[in-house]
Amino acid sequence: MINAEHLTKRYGRHLVVDDVSFISRPGRVTGFLGPNGAGKSTTMRMLCALTTPTSGRSLVLEHPFRELTNPGRHVGVLLDASAQHGGRTGREILTLSSTLMGLPRARVHEVVDLVGLTRREADARARTYSLGMRQRLGLAHALLGDPQVLILDEPANGPDPAGIRWMRGLLRSFAEAGGTVLLSSHLLHEVEAIADDLIIIGGGRILAQGSQTELLAGVSGLEELFLDLTADTAREGVAA
Amino acid sequence: MSTLTMTIPSRQRSATTGIPFARLCGVELRKQVDTRAGLWLLIVIALVNTALLVLTLTTAPPAELTWSNLTSAASLAQFVLLPLIGVMAATSEWSQRTGLTTFALEPRRTRVNLAKLASAGLLGLLVMLLTAVIGAVLNVVGIVFRGGDGSWAMDWSLLAGAALALLLLVAQGVAFGLAFLSTPIAIVAYLALPIVWTTLTVFISGLVGPSKWLDMNVTMLPLMMGEMSATGWAQLATSVAVWVGVPLAVGLWRTSRRDVA
Repeated sequence: MINAEHLTKRYGRHLVVDDVSFISRPGRVTGFLGPNGAGKSTTMRMLCALTTPTSGRSLVLEHPFRELTNPGRHVGVLLDASAQHGGRTGREILTLSSTLMGLPRARVHEVVDLVGLTRREADARARTYSLGMRQRLGLAHALLGDPQVLILDEPANGPDPAGIRWMRGLLRSFAEAGGTVLLSSHLLHEVEAIADDLIIIGGGRILAQGSQTELLAGVSGLEELFLDLTADTAREGVAA
Repeated sequence: MSTLTMTIPSRQRSATTGIPFARLCGVELRKQVDTRAGLWLLIVIALVNTALLVLTLTTAPPAELTWSNLTSAASLAQFVLLPLIGVMAATSEWSQRTGLTTFALEPRRTRVNLAKLASAGLLGLLVMLLTAVIGAVLNVVGIVFRGGDGSWAMDWSLLAGAALALLLLVAQGVAFGLAFLSTPIAIVAYLALPIVWTTLTVFISGLVGPSKWLDMNVTMLPLMMGEMSATGWAQLATSVAVWVGVPLAVGLWRTSRRDVA
C-alpha cells in the first residue's frame, strides 16, 4: 500500500508537483502516466524519501519511508536503471545490496536467474550493459529483498518486446500474490495492458485517477483519454 | 526468462531488524575497493611503497635497517593516495548516482556517511598494519642478506602518530568529498588548498603565527615524528577542526537535505 497525501514540490518559482494525492493498493498494479516532465519521477523520489517534499507527505506500508526498518526488505525500488557504478559487475551490485539487507548469499543467484540475466552477463561490468540489460538488473535489484511493494520508474523503457511481455507477467503475478505495484510510464499501450488502476498526471497535477475500467468507460481507449487530458496542460504550458 | 517463476510476497514475514552499523561499514568498505579506481589506488600504493622499500633495503647503511625504519620507509604512499579513496567513497554516490539505490536501502543518509568515514579509517588502519608486517618481513631480509642491524625495537609513538595522521588525512578526504560532491573538484581542493595555504604563509610573514594552529601540514609534523607536546595537541586539534571538522559539517548538512536524483 502506498499513500500520497498532498505531495507538493517546488523548485524556486517552479511548481513541479502540485498537491498530488493517491492510493496504490495491494493486489493491484497502478499505472502512473504522464508526459515527460509531468512530475512522475519527482513524485516517485518523494515516495522513497530521496527528495523532500515542500509540503504534503507519503506513506509506504503505513509508514513514512524514512521510518521503515531495513526498507529494502519491504519496498523494491527502481528509479533509474542507469544509476549504477559502471565499474562494478551486475553480480557485485546485487551482492553489495543483499549484504546490506542481510539476505542469504543464494538470493543473488535467485534474482539473477529470475530476471533472465546469464551468468556471463551478471559477471560483466555494468557499463557494458545495454539499456534492456540494465532494466533487468534494476528489476533484479528491486526484487532482491522479497518486498511487498514495488516502485518502478519507466521499467518498460528499454527491454525488447519479449522482455516487456515477460515483465508484464512478472508484475502481474507479483500483484496477484498480494503485492503492490506502482509503475510509471509514457508507453500507453504497455500501461493499458498491465494496469488495474491509473493515475494520469500533467503539469505536476493529477488530471484523472481511478480504475482502468472506470476511466476508459465512454472513450475509445487510453490514448484518447490521455491525449484529451494532457492537451490542456500542454496548452497551459504554452500559454504560461 | 520464458518460465514465470515468481517469488511471492511473503505474508508472514518475520519482523525485519534494522541494518547494524557494523554491516553498513562492511559494505561501505567493500565499495571502496571493488571498483577499478579504488583497486588501482591500492595497487599504486603497494607499488610505490615497494619501490621505496627496495631503495632503502639496497642503499641504506646496514646499521639503519631496523623494523621501525623499514616500516616508516614503506608508509609514504598511503599518506598521499589513501585519502583519495575517502574522497571517492563520498562523491561516487552522487557522481555515479548510486545514491539512488544506497539511500533507498538506508534512508538515514548521515548514518551512511558516518559509515563511509569509519570504514575509510578502518582501511587506513589495515594498510598501516600491513605496512608494519611487511616492514617486519623485510627486516629479516635485511638481517639475512645485508647484515642489517635488524633491531625489533619499534618506536610505537612514531607508528601510532603516523596511524593517527593517516586517519586524519583520510577523514579530510571524506569530508572534502562530502562538501564538494564532485570527484575532480574535491580531489583538486583536497590537494591544492593546503598547499596554497602553506605557500601563503611563506610569503606573508603575518600568517606564520596563525599557521602554527591552522596548517595541518605544520601541526602534523610533531605527530608523525612522535614528538607531541600539550601545545602540539591543541594546535593539531585546532587545525583539524578547520580542515576536517568544517568540511565534514558542511558535507553532512548538504547531503542530508539534497535531492538524490
